[in-house]
Amino acid sequence: MKKLVMAVSVLAVFPVAAMAAGENNIGACGWGSKVFEGQGGIAPQVLGATTNGTSGNQTFAITSGTSGCTQDGAVSSNWRTAMFIDGNKQKLARDMSVGSGEALDSLAHLIGVDTQDRAAFNRVAKDNLERIFPSDEVATQQVVVALREVMGADARLARYTAAF
Amino acid sequence: MSLLLLQGAALAASDPAYLAELAAKSRALKLAERPEWLKLLHYVPNALAPGVHSLVDSPNFFNAADGRTHPQSELEATLAAFYAQVEETPERQSPQCAFIARRAWLDAELGFDPKRLPRQDCKRYREWYAALNPKGLTLVFASAYLNNPSSMYGHTLLRVDARDQDERTRLLAYTINYAAATDETSGLVFAVRGLLGGYPGTFSVLPYYLKVREYSDLENRDLWEYELAFTPGEVERVLMHAWELRPAYFEYFFFDENCSYHLLRLLQVARPELDLAAPFRWWALPSDTVRAVTGHPGLTAKVVYRPANATLIGQRLAGMSDKERSLTKELSLRSLSASDSRLAALPEDRAAAVLETSHDYVSYRRAIGKSDVPDPAELARELRVARSRVPAPDQAPGVTQPAARPDQGHASARSALGAGRLAGRDFYELRMRPAYHDILDADEGYVRGAQIEFFSLALRHYRGGSTEVESFIPLDILSLSPRDEFFQSWSWRIAAGWRRAFVREGGRPLAGTVEGGMGGAWPAAGGRLLLYAMLDAGTRLHSDLEDDYALGAGGRGGALFDASPRWRMHAYARALRQFLGEHDTPAGLGLENRFSLGRDLALRVDVARSREAGRSFNAASISLLLYH
Repeated sequence: MKKLVMAVSVLAVFPVAAMAAGENNIGACGWGSKVFEGQGGIAPQVLGATTNGTSGNQTFAITSGTSGCTQDGAVSSNWRTAMFIDGNKQKLARDMSVGSGEALDSLAHLIGVDTQDRAAFNRVAKDNLERIFPSDEVATQQVVVALREVMGADARLARYTAAF
Repeated sequence: MSLLLLQGAALAASDPAYLAELAAKSRALKLAERPEWLKLLHYVPNALAPGVHSLVDSPNFFNAADGRTHPQSELEATLAAFYAQVEETPERQSPQCAFIARRAWLDAELGFDPKRLPRQDCKRYREWYAALNPKGLTLVFASAYLNNPSSMYGHTLLRVDARDQDERTRLLAYTINYAAATDETSGLVFAVRGLLGGYPGTFSVLPYYLKVREYSDLENRDLWEYELAFTPGEVERVLMHAWELRPAYFEYFFFDENCSYHLLRLLQVARPELDLAAPFRWWALPSDTVRAVTGHPGLTAKVVYRPANATLIGQRLAGMSDKERSLTKELSLRSLSASDSRLAALPEDRAAAVLETSHDYVSYRRAIGKSDVPDPAELARELRVARSRVPAPDQAPGVTQPAARPDQGHASARSALGAGRLAGRDFYELRMRPAYHDILDADEGYVRGAQIEFFSLALRHYRGGSTEVESFIPLDILSLSPRDEFFQSWSWRIAAGWRRAFVREGGRPLAGTVEGGMGGAWPAAGGRLLLYAMLDAGTRLHSDLEDDYALGAGGRGGALFDASPRWRMHAYARALRQFLGEHDTPAGLGLENRFSLGRDLALRVDVARSREAGRSFNAASISLLLYH
């Protein structure tokens, strides 16, 4: 009997714990924005012409900063949506302001929005741009929370909020 | 490494008799000499001695102590290693899984008996493969952008197209990328060490959206996506080998063993008969490796062009009225607010276009580190919010694909045979240039106004005289970036090498020269004309010069004009005042013409009037150019 109670209580707590862990972990599961700085100036260009390699540095820095969220380079399925948002904030904010775009379509795909609900998804995102992206440097977790709220308030899209 | 050093390895009941049987069969079938095995182990023939060596430099890639140089020995040691069982962790896996492509091929050729060589499950590989969910492969070529001649060199990476992917969700695919693994931030150290093989080169797997951001958004490079016509089995073979290569490293050499070369080596394992890397013995230019793929019949299915952010901005601006263009500019400078009545007065779709372009332009300026306002992020946000209040749909213009792809331009090496006259003496001339493109060459597939030439050599034979080196220029880079209201970059040049010129003493010695210049370029006549002006500095070194050297400053100006699609003219004038060392004011003006006779054939006709060491003289030449 005791084992059953223990088992049930562990099982009951587990999803909450997992979600909590998930919420906290988003901060650790990011690509990092520091590496995304363009290299201007003439010296890098001259050296780039002869050596074809300024971008190699950035690749290395990225792969070393995402432990726990990627395995062998592939993003684990729990984090795919959060990581995509993390790596595409400017693009997503821009696509939302227009109401369409590749990044927005990719986000809809990750969330699993059906084809017939895509128009509603795009419209809701565009109408709530300021809430979802108060800036393009907002924390990923905040974007996720705002997106869930906004979708949850829409009859057609509420069912997708569990997906991410 | 040999089996003994595998930490925590347990040898499953090894079956020496069966191993011997398999080894004997492999010798009978000569498997170690087959292209599949040689390609999987990256063996190349030794330059001088007989035999082969592997390009892979990491010891863990080999199971035999002499595996790097002995294919048969490596094959038998790999078979033996397949009996080892290692508990899978994120850092370790059994040899059967670490060398999964080898296992697949050896099994297919030898027919492993699972009772005598148990097959192990490779969970990490399976999960990785499932995450990639592959359907096809695309070779992506990151091309050049106007302000950046170095980017013309190009870069290639491999995209793994997923089963649930379509045109709109390509961003979610994974890429396989080969690059020098380092966090070196000094460009100079990176350049030197990279040229000398000072870094390990490794394969890494990253989502495509990160690479698009890096190349398209930050470096403003157009992307060309070459979809490859591989069967599912061929795709699997490539990915199994990519899995084998992930922990491995090669010494990264920019010239010959660079990103594009090793990607070709990865791709060619798809089919036994594919030998894409063979022509690239001494150096590999990324665009040439793309040519190797498109030139192979039936390998490329489709090519998709994805313009960079800056390219799209240019296309949007070109489709606007003057009033819309000036509104765009004022918005991006904040001299106009997004709620201004002039914007509201525009029809909805035009207001949307102006807001989109202005936002993208502000983002572009931010990305290149040149913001026009103190708070570009906030301005971008305001523009987005304003745009979100306009109900019009996306106003992006249809994509205009360039006339030629990067693999369809002239070949990268060039030789020329010509005749001419200099200061009253006739000569024959042979010019050779292994790479890459100058401002007079036809631009299709290249960037107009961008010149990169490596190891350019000119040999002359004067009538009645000897054959001599006229010039040898290891490095010559010129970047003419057209300036307009929206895009401003410095134009610049740098050249170093040896060139003949008259000296006061009387001769025409081959003197070392290093030159540089900076200035601007301006388009005119609807883009057919490009005017430029630069300030120059230069130095010459030779014992025949007074004080053995000369240092000077001056300027140059010119015009590039496309008289017709096949005929380009370059008129120029330049002067340099040498004020240290040998005093002189060498100057010249001239006209160069290039007539295209085909993609890889052209005619050059050049005339010039020059003054050196107080002598004025004329020069003229005509030559036939062959690109190969």
